[in-house]
Amino acid sequence: MTPHQERTGPGAVPAQAAFLPAPEGTKKAVTDFLKTLMDQGGLDALLVPVEVPDTPFHAWVMVKKSEVLDKAHPLPPVMSVQGGRALSSLTKHGTPWLHIAAVMRPCEARAAVELAKLKQVRLDNVVLITIDCPGALPLAEYVADPEKGQERYKTVADTWHENEFLRPACARCHRFSLTGLEDGPSEGPAPDDAPASVDIHIGLLGEDQNGILLLPVTPSGAEILKKTGLEADRPTAGWESRVRDLLKKKKEKRQAAHEEFRKDITGLDRFLTVFDPCINCHNCMNVCPVCYCQQCYFDTQTQFCTSSVYMDRARKRGALRFPPDPLLFHLGRMSHMVLSCVSCGACEDACPVSIPVGKVFSWVADETQPAFGYSAGTDRGDPLPLQNFLKEEFCEIETPSACGQAQSTEVKENA
Amino acid sequence: MSARIGVYVCECGPNIPDRIDIDRVLEEISPLKDVAVAKRYRLLCSNDGKKYLADEIRSEKLTHLVVAACSPRDHEKTFMKVCLEAGLNPFLFQMVNIREQCAWIFSEKSEATRMAVKYIRAGISRVTLHEPLLQKEIKATPDVLVVGGGIAGVETALSLAGQKRRVYLVERSDALGGTAARLGRLLPHQGTDMRLIQEKIEHAENNENISVFKGCEVEDIRGFLGNFEVSLKRSGGEPPPEMFRVGAVVVATGFALWDAFDPDVTGYGKIDDVVTSLEFEAMSASGKILKKNGSPPRSVALIHCVGRKEKGYCSKVCCLYSLKFAHQLKDSQPAPDVFEFYSDLCLPEKTDQDVFEEAKKRGVRFLRADDIRVEGRNGKIRIAYRDGSAEEAVEVEMAVLAPAMVPAPDSDRLARMLNIPLDETGFFKEAHSMLDPVSAPISGIYIAGCASGPKSIPESVVQAQAASGKILSVLMLGKTLEPEVKVSTIKEELCTGCQTCLNVCFYGAISFDAFRGVSVVNEAICRGCGSCVGSCPSGAISSKQFTYQQLFKEVMEALR
Repeated sequence: MTPHQERTGPGAVPAQAAFLPAPEGTKKAVTDFLKTLMDQGGLDALLVPVEVPDTPFHAWVMVKKSEVLDKAHPLPPVMSVQGGRALSSLTKHGTPWLHIAAVMRPCEARAAVELAKLKQVRLDNVVLITIDCPGALPLAEYVADPEKGQERYKTVADTWHENEFLRPACARCHRFSLTGLEDGPSEGPAPDDAPASVDIHIGLLGEDQNGILLLPVTPSGAEILKKTGLEADRPTAGWESRVRDLLKKKKEKRQAAHEEFRKDITGLDRFLTVFDPCINCHNCMNVCPVCYCQQCYFDTQTQFCTSSVYMDRARKRGALRFPPDPLLFHLGRMSHMVLSCVSCGACEDACPVSIPVGKVFSWVADETQPAFGYSAGTDRGDPLPLQNFLKEEFCEIETPSACGQAQSTEVKENA
Repeated sequence: MSARIGVYVCECGPNIPDRIDIDRVLEEISPLKDVAVAKRYRLLCSNDGKKYLADEIRSEKLTHLVVAACSPRDHEKTFMKVCLEAGLNPFLFQMVNIREQCAWIFSEKSEATRMAVKYIRAGISRVTLHEPLLQKEIKATPDVLVVGGGIAGVETALSLAGQKRRVYLVERSDALGGTAARLGRLLPHQGTDMRLIQEKIEHAENNENISVFKGCEVEDIRGFLGNFEVSLKRSGGEPPPEMFRVGAVVVATGFALWDAFDPDVTGYGKIDDVVTSLEFEAMSASGKILKKNGSPPRSVALIHCVGRKEKGYCSKVCCLYSLKFAHQLKDSQPAPDVFEFYSDLCLPEKTDQDVFEEAKKRGVRFLRADDIRVEGRNGKIRIAYRDGSAEEAVEVEMAVLAPAMVPAPDSDRLARMLNIPLDETGFFKEAHSMLDPVSAPISGIYIAGCASGPKSIPESVVQAQAASGKILSVLMLGKTLEPEVKVSTIKEELCTGCQTCLNVCFYGAISFDAFRGVSVVNEAICRGCGSCVGSCPSGAISSKQFTYQQLFKEVMEALR
C-alpha cells in the first residue's frame, strides 16, 4: 500500500551520552540520576513510580522532595497504571506551570505522545524520560503471589528478555528501548530534524554493566543534562549495537507470533471464538491509555434497541445472544484507537478471562499503522491519521482510475 | 398529547400514480402508530394543494407532517412554508421522495409500491423524533472590506460605494491601481492614454464612501458573514488604523510574476538586456525602450511561456501582451526586427485575431520553439531553440521574458486567516470554478481578479462587478441574516477536547474553549454538513435533524 506520507526516519540516537557509574547496581544509579535531576536539573517536580510503603506495589507519584526518590523506580515489576494515563490526569487541564520530568517505560511514553496529539496530555512543560525496559510481569500472577513475583522480577531484570516470566505483551515487545531506534538505519548519524518522542533516554544495556548511559535525545534533554553537570562524553555505539541486536531478535519473534496468531483468528468463526469468553467488563477499555473518550458509546444505553427490534433479528437468525453484539464493542474500540495503539499490553493485563486482547490489537496495529505511514508514539510532529486528511490518501482503493499507472504498479509490488 | 402525524401522498400529475399503487400505500400506512390521517392529492405544490395542506394541518390538528412526493430539492421549502402558515413548526415535517427514488426507477409497479411504503415508514419513524427548531436572525453589517487595491479591488470598491456601502479598501503598496496602472499601453487599440485607469483610481480615492488604507495589510480577520472583525497593520511599524467591522470580504490580491526561473536557461540577471515583461512595460510607460548602453535595440526576442511547464498552467495574457510589445516595437523608428518565440498561441478574445494578423503583416516573425536557452555571446544575445528536431538559433539585442503569473506573496497567510483554501497552483480556490467563480467556499468571502488565477483586465473587472452584485444581494441594507438551522451541536459532557473536529470543519465554524476544555460550534457559520459529526471519536457531536437516533430509526425502517 502507498503510505500517505513519508516517514521521516528514526529517533535521533546521539553519538555520545553521559555515563553514571553504578557500583551498587543500576537501580541505585537510576535513583541517583533522578535525584541529581531534581536538585540540579532546574526541574520543579518528577512524575515517577514510587514504592507504596508496606506493599509490593508502586504508584505514580509527583515528587517534590528528592529524598522520596529513594523509593522511586521507573521499572516496577508490574505495570498497574499506564504512565500515559498518569501524565494525562496530571496535565490534561492546561499546561503545568511547573517544569516537570516524567520518567517512564518506552511504551508509556509513546502513549503520552499519542495522548498529546489528542490534546489529553500537555507536553509543553514536560521533559519525557524513558529507560531501557526489561519488561514486566503479568499483573494477576504478581497480585496472587507478590513474593514469588519479586523473586522472578530479579531474573527478568538480569536476563534481558531471555526468560519465561514476562507478560505476553513484553515477551512480544520489540520497542523496549529508545523509541524510533527500531525503525531507523543502523549506520550514520541521525539527521538534525529526526523525530523524537522523548527528551532523555536511560540506557541500561551498555557494554559496561557498571554504569548507566544518559542519552540526550532532544536539545532540551541535552540542556537539562548539562545543568546536572554530567558530561556527555561516552560513545553510545556499543549500547546501540547491543540494543539493535536484541530488538532484531525480538522483532522476528513478534512477527512469528503474529503469523502464528493469524491462523488462530482469521475468519469470523475463529474470531468469535477468541472473544467468546468476554464478560463485557470493559476493563480493557478502562485501562487502555489511548482510549480517551469521556464516556464510551458502549457504556451508554444508546446502543440497545427495543425488544421488538431484537425480536425481528431473532426471527431472521433463529436465535440471538444477550447482551447483543459483544464483538461490536471490541471492533468499535479497535476502529477508534488501533492507529494509536502502542502495544503496552495494559488491556491484556486487565482482562479477567485471559482473552489475548493485546495480541489482537498489537497485531492489527502492526498491520494498519504502516498503511498510513504512521508509527504510534514515534514522532511528536507526525499528525494522527485521523486528524490528517490528504487528497491522495488511499487513492489506490478509493479511485484506482484517478491514481495513475505508477502508483498502481507500486501497489502490486507491495502486495 | 400523543403525536398526530398526517401523511399526504402527492400524485404529481400522472408521475406517481402511473407507477405506484397509491391506494395500496395508504392502506399500509394508515394503521401505523400515531398516523392520524393518510390521504392522496393531485398536486400538492399547486396553490390549491398548498391551501388544502394548510387546511388539513389545522383541521386535523396535526403535530407532524409527512409529504410523500418529489425530491426535497424541488419542494421541501414550499411545504415548510405551508407548515409555518398553518402554525406547525416547519421542522416537524419530513419529505419523502417517492418520485425520483421510487416511481421513476422501478419498472415493476409492485416493487415501486413496496419501496414507497418502506420510505414513507422511514419518514414517519424519523419525524416523530424531530425537534421543533427555531429560525434565528443575525444582525449584519452591510460594510465591506476589499483586500487589494488593484484594478479588481478598485472596481469592487466603486461598484459597492455607488450603492451607498461603506468600503474599506486596503492596499499593501503606497499606490492604488496595481499592475494595470503600471502598463505602458492598453489593448486592443494600442492606446497610450492611461487616463481611464487613473480616473478610476482618483474616483476611488475621492469617494466619501470608500476609506482607502494605503501601505497597510490585514493583521487579523475573525468572524463570519455579516460580522467580520478586521484589524490592520501599517507597513513600517507606524501605529495601525482603527479596527472596524464588515459584513463581507473581497479578496482582490492580484498576482506576482514568477521569478524563480533558472538564470542559466533564461539569462535573466546574467546577460544585459534580458528583461521581464513588467520591466519592459516600465520602459514602455516612460516612452524609452532602450538597451543598457542607451541605444535602441535593433532586434528583440519576445519569449513566451517562461514557467508554464514548471507551474503547470497557461497565464492567459502573455501571448496578447507580447503581441502588444511587438506592435509597440514596430511603431518605433527605426523599427527593430521582432521575434516571437511561442509554443502555443492563446488568443481567445474577439479582438485578438486582428492584433495577431496585423503583427504578421508588419513583419513580426513567429517562431514555434521548444527548449529555449538564452545565451550571451560577444555582447549579443543568442536564443538557441529546437524547432521539431532541428536545433536553431537567432541573435538579438534584447530579450523580453513573459514569466508565469503566480499567486501574490502572502496569499497563504491571508488564506489561513480567512480560513479559505488555496488550490494546487497556490491561487485562491473558488467555491466552484465554473458555477460560482467569485465566491470563496466560506459565506461572506468573495474573490475577484487574479487572486483566483491569471486573468485579463476585462475579466478582472467583470469579476469585481460580479462580487459586488453578490454582496449587494446577500447583505441588504437594514435586513438581518437567517443562518442555517440544522447545525451541529456538541454535547459538552462527552467532548474530550481532542479538537479533531476543528481540523475537519471546512467552514471554520468550530472553536476550542480552552477554559472549559471543549469544542464549541458557532451556529452562525455552521452549514450543517456533518463532517464534524462523522469525525468525532467520542460521538459527542450531533447534527440537528440528523441525530443518531433519527438516522438509526429511519434507516432501520428502510431496511426492514
